[in-house]
Amino acid sequence: MTNYAIEIQGLVKWYGAVQALYGVDLNIKSGEIFGFLGQNGAGKTTTIRCLLDQIRPQAGTIRVLGIDPQANPTAVQARAGYLPGELHLEENLKVEQLLRYLGELRGNKLDKDYLKQLVERLELDTSRTIKNLSSGNKQKVGVVQALMHQPELLLLDEPTAGLDPLMQQEVYRLLKEAKAKGATIFFSSHILSEVEAIAERVAIIRKGVIVEESTPSQLTHMSMRQVIVRFLEPIDTAPLAKIDGIALLSQRNGIQATLQVEGDMDALIKTLAQFPVKDIETVSHSLEEIFLKYYRAEDQEEN
Amino acid sequence: MFAELKHALQRSKGQIVGWGIALFLLVVLLVSMYDSIAAEQETFQELLSVYPPEVSAFMGDMSTFGTPEGWVSIEFFSYMPVILGILGVTMGSGMLLNDEEDGILDLVMAHPVNRTALFIGRLLAFIITIVSILVIVWVGFIVSMAWSTIDIGLGVMWLPLLSLLAELLLFGSLALFLSMILPSRRLASMTTGLLLVASFFITGLAELNDKLEVVAKLSPLNYYQAQEAFSDFNGTWFIGLLAAALVFTLLAWWRFKKRDLRVAGEGGWQLGRWATILKHNK
Repeated sequence: MTNYAIEIQGLVKWYGAVQALYGVDLNIKSGEIFGFLGQNGAGKTTTIRCLLDQIRPQAGTIRVLGIDPQANPTAVQARAGYLPGELHLEENLKVEQLLRYLGELRGNKLDKDYLKQLVERLELDTSRTIKNLSSGNKQKVGVVQALMHQPELLLLDEPTAGLDPLMQQEVYRLLKEAKAKGATIFFSSHILSEVEAIAERVAIIRKGVIVEESTPSQLTHMSMRQVIVRFLEPIDTAPLAKIDGIALLSQRNGIQATLQVEGDMDALIKTLAQFPVKDIETVSHSLEEIFLKYYRAEDQEEN
Repeated sequence: MFAELKHALQRSKGQIVGWGIALFLLVVLLVSMYDSIAAEQETFQELLSVYPPEVSAFMGDMSTFGTPEGWVSIEFFSYMPVILGILGVTMGSGMLLNDEEDGILDLVMAHPVNRTALFIGRLLAFIITIVSILVIVWVGFIVSMAWSTIDIGLGVMWLPLLSLLAELLLFGSLALFLSMILPSRRLASMTTGLLLVASFFITGLAELNDKLEVVAKLSPLNYYQAQEAFSDFNGTWFIGLLAAALVFTLLAWWRFKKRDLRVAGEGGWQLGRWATILKHNK
């Protein structure tokens, strides 16, 4: 039996007249890094906030670490670390005062050495007042408070927003280390390179509906690829267009064909074997292109 | 809960010190002035006899101006529900909504502190803040009475302050409750502030116009005891005000437990969904 850290079934959420989630189903395995992709307003933050009982869904069931967050929110909150997407901190406190207060809310059970390590690795000056920090430094405070109690589950909404590339890399390392210690990481992002870099599985949410759930590699593999084939001599390209899952995008004097391939390339390779092939060039789409395609395709459908 | 209480009290330090010092100085000044006022009592009574009755209606019985109880009531306790009421309303409406609108509550509530514990922690901090300010006022009276001929007993001096406390808790809890059902803190403060001022005027005007007596019975300030507290403190009124404050507090707690927390900013009226449902049902 698969052990899930997060189980979401049929999650529906309305804000007044606006429906934010239309029956979200999502299962996140214990110990995995799961990326949650979507545009602004797609429902990422709403889903995460339902997991912590910040907001209550109108329908659906949620289990976080086997607990119903609506029935026992503090049991979930005690075992989870959360970084809000819109991070607001008490501006008049010093970083150390804020971390102390948040630690007290967790019953002062922090490993001080680990906290010190986090602060050092993220190059955070804890003696500074929050209002004097840059947005990047405030984000570091957010990352530290989410990780400082070494939670079993990390719910991170745009974890690297505002961080410079070096700090982003440090955060990725911290997340991978947390995973190595057994933590489950569920993070939302619209930085697709970040999802590609660290997520083991990924879901794409669009207008409150999960439109895809897969591994980043499967998603890029399963998606459309462009293949440019150059031949030693002009050929009749018509047979290429008849292969299942292949569309002939263009051809130049029978000497070059640009094809769009969906799925694996077996049928194409076998067909190409009949022709004098000079060169094959495959262009794989990045997760970013796939993501944008989902959005563009569905926008076109709607129009 | 204690972590939240401690934190909320630390944030209220400024309120306690600021309001406390200001009111302490005011009390010291008023009590110090009493002896010279009492010495000229006859002249003052002549002057006050030409004052219109409206002044008495709002400030208290002017014929007692020369007595210690009358002096402190007219010069201090008569208008304190409105002055300190502003603090009560501001603190009540902002107890939870201030942090919610600033986006701070989102992070705090992701920590293992349940909504009831957070509510109680902040409510206790609010009560302690108000009580602390009133204690400073009381100390001001006691200290300054040492060099004045005013001689009101230590315990008796507490009675109008108790009545004031009940009023502040009532308006604070009303503001808290309204902040839970209205879209913003601003609106909750404004509405409660308006009710506070309206209550002050209705109670005063009812002294002049018998027809307003029925309306005045619904006014919380009708049950506020300033000068009356010194001679005949009405415990039922005091408990009644506290009971009303408790009802508003419980309603606010129930609403806070049930409602969605906003990420930040002000909310809406939440009527849209019902409008949509009605539209679809047509």
